[in-house]
Amino acid sequence: MIALLQGMGDGMQDTGTSMARDLSLLAPEIAVVLTAVGALVFEMLRLPRAALPFTVIGLLVATGLTVPLIGTETVVFSGTFRVDPLSEWAKLALLPATVLCAVLAHPEVKDTDREGTVHALFSFTALGALVLAGAGDLMFVVLGVLLSSLGSFALAAYPRDDRATEGAMKFLVFGSVTSAVMIFGLTYLYGATGSTLLSELGRLEGTPLAAAVGLVAVLVGLGYKAAIAPFHFWAPDAYDGAPVSVAAFLSVVPKVGAIFALAQVARELPAPAGPFGWPLVIAALAALSMTYGNLAALVQEDVVRLLAYSSISQSGYFLLGVVALGKTDLALPSLAVFALAYAATNVGAFAVVAGHGRTLRDLAGLGRYAPWAGGAMVVFLISLVGIPPTAGFVGKLLLFGAAIGSGYAWLAVIAILNSVLSLAVYLRVVVPMYGTPKEARTAGLPVVAAWVVSLILVLAVGLAALGLLGAIA
Amino acid sequence: MFPLVSTTLFLPLVGAVLLVSLPGASARAAHAVGIAASGLALVGAALVWARGVPTGAGFSQVEQIAWIPSAGAAYRVGVDGISLPLVVLTALLFFVSLVFSARVRERARSYVALFLLLETACLGVFVALDAILFYVFFEVTLVGMYFVIAGWGYEERGRAALTFFIYTLLGSLPLLLAILALYLGSDPNTFDMRVLIADPPLSGLAATLALVAMLVTFFVKTPVFPVHTWLPLAHTEAPTAGSVILAGVLLKLGTYGLIRFALQMTPDTFHEAAPIVAAFGVFSALYGAFVALAQTDLKRLVAYTSVNHMGYVVLGVAVAAAATGAESRTLALDGAVLQMVSHGVVTGALFLLVGMLQDRAHTREMGDFGGLLRVVPVLGWSFVLAAFASLGLPGLAHFPAEFQIFLGTLGVYPAAVVVVLGIAVTAGLYLRAIQRVFLGGARGRWSGMKDLSRREVLAAAPLLLLAVLIGVAPSLVLGVIHAATVALP
Repeated sequence: MIALLQGMGDGMQDTGTSMARDLSLLAPEIAVVLTAVGALVFEMLRLPRAALPFTVIGLLVATGLTVPLIGTETVVFSGTFRVDPLSEWAKLALLPATVLCAVLAHPEVKDTDREGTVHALFSFTALGALVLAGAGDLMFVVLGVLLSSLGSFALAAYPRDDRATEGAMKFLVFGSVTSAVMIFGLTYLYGATGSTLLSELGRLEGTPLAAAVGLVAVLVGLGYKAAIAPFHFWAPDAYDGAPVSVAAFLSVVPKVGAIFALAQVARELPAPAGPFGWPLVIAALAALSMTYGNLAALVQEDVVRLLAYSSISQSGYFLLGVVALGKTDLALPSLAVFALAYAATNVGAFAVVAGHGRTLRDLAGLGRYAPWAGGAMVVFLISLVGIPPTAGFVGKLLLFGAAIGSGYAWLAVIAILNSVLSLAVYLRVVVPMYGTPKEARTAGLPVVAAWVVSLILVLAVGLAALGLLGAIA
Repeated sequence: MFPLVSTTLFLPLVGAVLLVSLPGASARAAHAVGIAASGLALVGAALVWARGVPTGAGFSQVEQIAWIPSAGAAYRVGVDGISLPLVVLTALLFFVSLVFSARVRERARSYVALFLLLETACLGVFVALDAILFYVFFEVTLVGMYFVIAGWGYEERGRAALTFFIYTLLGSLPLLLAILALYLGSDPNTFDMRVLIADPPLSGLAATLALVAMLVTFFVKTPVFPVHTWLPLAHTEAPTAGSVILAGVLLKLGTYGLIRFALQMTPDTFHEAAPIVAAFGVFSALYGAFVALAQTDLKRLVAYTSVNHMGYVVLGVAVAAAATGAESRTLALDGAVLQMVSHGVVTGALFLLVGMLQDRAHTREMGDFGGLLRVVPVLGWSFVLAAFASLGLPGLAHFPAEFQIFLGTLGVYPAAVVVVLGIAVTAGLYLRAIQRVFLGGARGRWSGMKDLSRREVLAAAPLLLLAVLIGVAPSLVLGVIHAATVALP
């Protein structure tokens, strides 16, 4: 909201008509702010039950408002905020994902005090992610990181037990330090270019040192937000302590927002002269993140922690698209499609976990006593591996294509080897699911609704993705 | 024109969806749906065969729906002389597998639904004319087969299924890179396999890397020594019908891809690499034969002879790539494709018969048997016939295929003819197996063994008849194959 107010302030300097134009282009974001505030108002009126339906409707309206914007490519508020494919597809992926997480949270937060604030925090944090995805200015990057972090800290600490407190504390400390480092480093970028606009980053050409410090700063700040190795340490503990719905939310919404912000920065950076430069740094981070995430996931017994490490590895895959920016037409579509695929898949997998237990032992026999839920989990997991005909396959296909097309075939090879490794990770979940059931658990309606919608999205995106591609490119 | 190819392709899937949406269906009803759906698919495949393929005209009966023209992606299916026999083979093997499986009572609905899904995926690989569509079907076969082995296999099924899935996924992902390279290399960018075949887009280093990636994928799938190690484990643990499909259809995906992708889309590089590929084929054929000789488990023995027979196919394809004269190229390629069909028919029959034996005896150790020919004559003679076909007896299915491959090889790589030694070894091992299991004095413990039931005869007979028919009149199949191979540049 702060971001928006500042944006409005900038807009005041323009003429009335351009102000109206800017605001109409920001209609989805405004709808998200109103949703968040509305949920908070219901909480204050002691009607916390109304917060969930209000959030669901508000965010769906915001999604609907995004649809007419598809294909627009422009900037608002003097170039500080972008309405471009990245920001549009971030809204289309993240707002429905937030809706699903809010629904999923219902059984977990029902009848606790401050039930309504959870939904308000979901909306505020999602807004932070959207600000990141559309950032056209360094200040928006900072605001997006802070806005989404503040909400996330509170969400992670919501259960108020030891594990949640410990996880949220680590998250808070880690987030504060990395954000401080980022802000410090960004001053170098400002000093070197004389502007906070991302579109002016091309001026860095003559100042390699400032450029390097600034890039490292951005990588630290956004890498923490996106849980990219080696800035991921908070993620497994924070996810583990938080309610499953919050873990699902944290693993999708702020992460995609931060990756897209990184893409917004990277597409403006001057191309390096030699073989070394920012793409190589990001490629190295991608390789590290994919490999580390999968290896660590391989030894987890808790499915939430397993999915936490797997989401670190999926961040690495996202970076394939960032590396390819500016070198191939596939880069932007690959990021957009993979974001859609990843959001639907991960929320779905967490939804099944929320309904049927969070350790490998709890999931034993799921495929036998609840064949539909088990089948859905299998689809989510093979989508995370990237096996057709799921959404994850199309996303990874495009990412691999982008990497090869931009001359990073070696990175695509590492990614593929990691896909095999990740199959071993996810089969560790599938195998007990078709073993002997320990105890049958029934999932409530919200949980079932969440995974059914995710399943439909995963299959629909998988089957229609190439059609989607036409809309993005 | 009626979209016969697509109808055949999706009929099994419709059956699978029907089964999934009927939660209360009994095992009996599930098998009825399965046999009906795969039977209709077989009829569809037969009608596609009846429509035929014109000589030398590339793909025919093409059906396509534009998806997005700008990205060069579309739903495209069609057949040519190389894929058509494999389509019919696939439909037939799935039909007999489902007939044979009608006794499965344990979670029958899921079992039949998985087989039907697998059938659509396998048919899809053979009829796909879009590289992405091909890859999608290629991977779906893995998922289907994983669950078949993991759900209905024998004792060590968990480990076998895991090895199979991870090994073959590791194998197939390089193909994805190769497909992307082909896509990025073509101008305008397209996944249309017809375009990629007519005008191979890659050259130089890119073509070499793409070929290496494709060889990795298809060697694992075929399988070729040294990446064959998943096969014996998967075969011994898979249920009988699973083994039939694995050996009869899934292995063909490897050699079919070898022809369709490696040979047709990177022809010049393959021409240069042909001696290496041929060496792999020869070694694999000999290795498979000798390792099979050392087996005492009947099912493992059949599994290793598959490595031997598929080695001949790889050799045939390599010879076709290396040959400079049109005659020896067509000869070798005709032989290679016919060998795929023969192997599907004969090995399918062998796995069925071994499965029937195991159902009765609950063991597959050859040393435990003896004199069964007198106890179960129909089963015994069927096995003898299939074994003779497998060892390449003239007048049975493998002979015309292997004969053509060797003839083609003789013209190009005379030294590679040492591979004929493999025939002598397989002859020896099959004769020894027949002698130990079916000849000699009958053991008392098997005296109560029942001979084949009607269902089992129904499952095995079509394959045995076909093994004889292909052996006696190979031109029935060769005519169709030749229509495509003669036109290859």
